[in-house]
Amino acid sequence: MEPSLVALEQSFSGASEDFPALLRRKGLLSPAATVNPTARAPDSRERSWKPTEATTILAFKFSGGVLVAGDRRAISGNTVVYDRADKVLEIDRHSIMAIAGVPATAWEMARVLEHSFQYFRRTQLQEMSVDGKVRALSKLLRDNFGFVMQGVGMVVPIFATYDFNSKSGPRLYFYDAMGAQFEVADYAATGSGSPAVRGILYYENNWGAKRLQKLSEDEAVTIALRALDTAAESDTATGGVDRSGKIYPLIKVVSRKGITTLPERKIAAVFKQTVA
Amino acid sequence: MIEEPYRWVEAIANRREYIETQLASGSPIAAVGYREGVLFLTLGQARQKLFEVYDRIAMGAIGHPGDIERLRMAAIELASTEGFTRSAGDVSLRRLAHYSLSPVLKNAFEQVYGAPFLARMLFAEVGAKPEEDLFLRVEYDGAIATNGATFAQARQDFAVLSGTGKSTELMESFLKIEHEPGAPFEAALKVALDAWSIGHMTLKNNDAKELPERAALTKHRVEQLAVAGIEAAILERDASTAIRYRALSDEEVRASIQQ
Repeated sequence: MEPSLVALEQSFSGASEDFPALLRRKGLLSPAATVNPTARAPDSRERSWKPTEATTILAFKFSGGVLVAGDRRAISGNTVVYDRADKVLEIDRHSIMAIAGVPATAWEMARVLEHSFQYFRRTQLQEMSVDGKVRALSKLLRDNFGFVMQGVGMVVPIFATYDFNSKSGPRLYFYDAMGAQFEVADYAATGSGSPAVRGILYYENNWGAKRLQKLSEDEAVTIALRALDTAAESDTATGGVDRSGKIYPLIKVVSRKGITTLPERKIAAVFKQTVA
Repeated sequence: MIEEPYRWVEAIANRREYIETQLASGSPIAAVGYREGVLFLTLGQARQKLFEVYDRIAMGAIGHPGDIERLRMAAIELASTEGFTRSAGDVSLRRLAHYSLSPVLKNAFEQVYGAPFLARMLFAEVGAKPEEDLFLRVEYDGAIATNGATFAQARQDFAVLSGTGKSTELMESFLKIEHEPGAPFEAALKVALDAWSIGHMTLKNNDAKELPERAALTKHRVEQLAVAGIEAAILERDASTAIRYRALSDEEVRASIQQ
């Protein structure tokens, strides 16, 4: 361990600092990227590296909490580099961050976020509020925006959590790349395949057999699989369901009890019955 | 004063005496390993004395709240940054106490013009098996006592902390006889409660040379349970979750005592 980690600061005040600030003080996290107002994002033709949010992530509330689903494909340009990417990440016992965007930045953000929540609870001796958690992610996105302007490191996440202090219970947010957060009542989708998914979810919620919030778990899984498969049909960056490789989307559920990762065999069974 | 070695030794001795007096009234803390984890237990809820440090590490402390707070924060900072830059598996209590806390405490204690830390801490790190549990008692002068096998003692699956040396000693000799490693939770809770009672009785009567009679012990325990709140926390051995620390509420502990 570096000797600088050992020093005890005499003027220290535990309440004043969040975890990213602590990391920066110790030189373990790069400073927030500055946004230079005179710099322009390079013209798309000049770009050697295209910022993409190539994937499809969706989340909606159903009778058992919030379902969050993501396909498994990771691409670089036109090449599929990985077909088992995990884009639905558990941040704490009741929070999930699902990511569309540059994986390196997104996974680092998830790591900072996870430690931020734990660090807050351990130092302040109380759980961080849902609003505090939502804001913490917003701040990370904001700090990253300078990089987005330079054409690297775009991340557009969805955040799902369970709020014990409100009547609503499960809560769902989506973000833009600058860090604005939007709470949604029913569903959210992000990534390159999201227009198709948003269409399906809007349709199902308004004219489907039931409203999304009334769906049982199996029905919810059906909708999620159909939506991802539809997105994959026209969007090459979305993996959907790989029928020959038997690779299914990752689906997690946030409820009062915590987070459940649906086992692959259950997803496969629903897929066979209602989708394939 | 400090130029003369004798004066320095005298100053250190005075300081030691001062700190010992300040710590003497601290409520004892017993930490015992059991089959499914490690249990921390103390009575009296004027101030929180048990804290989560990291995924598998917890601490209990007595002393000045300001000093405990600074040390606790330092421990959490160190563990969190290490866990972030490397991994949770790289955070170890042994390194935290020996390489980071102990030198800082010793330095502050021996610089007679500065203020020492008025705190005594008990750390535990839960292992995959009871034999792998690590307990460390870290003193205000940086001295560290472990539960590991030394020349004169076998490895123990418990550790205690109290206001006075006598009290600590009697709690340890009680646990040495009564505590069984790998015991179920209820048994561990009972033995921890008795160890606390012995520590507390000894604080009141510092001339005690040996363990109190069973009847006197039970009487003291019942009396204290009637007037004081219980503070308890566990580190769970179950490896399926990353975060093992859980504070137990007063009611939860009392319900387990009834059984």
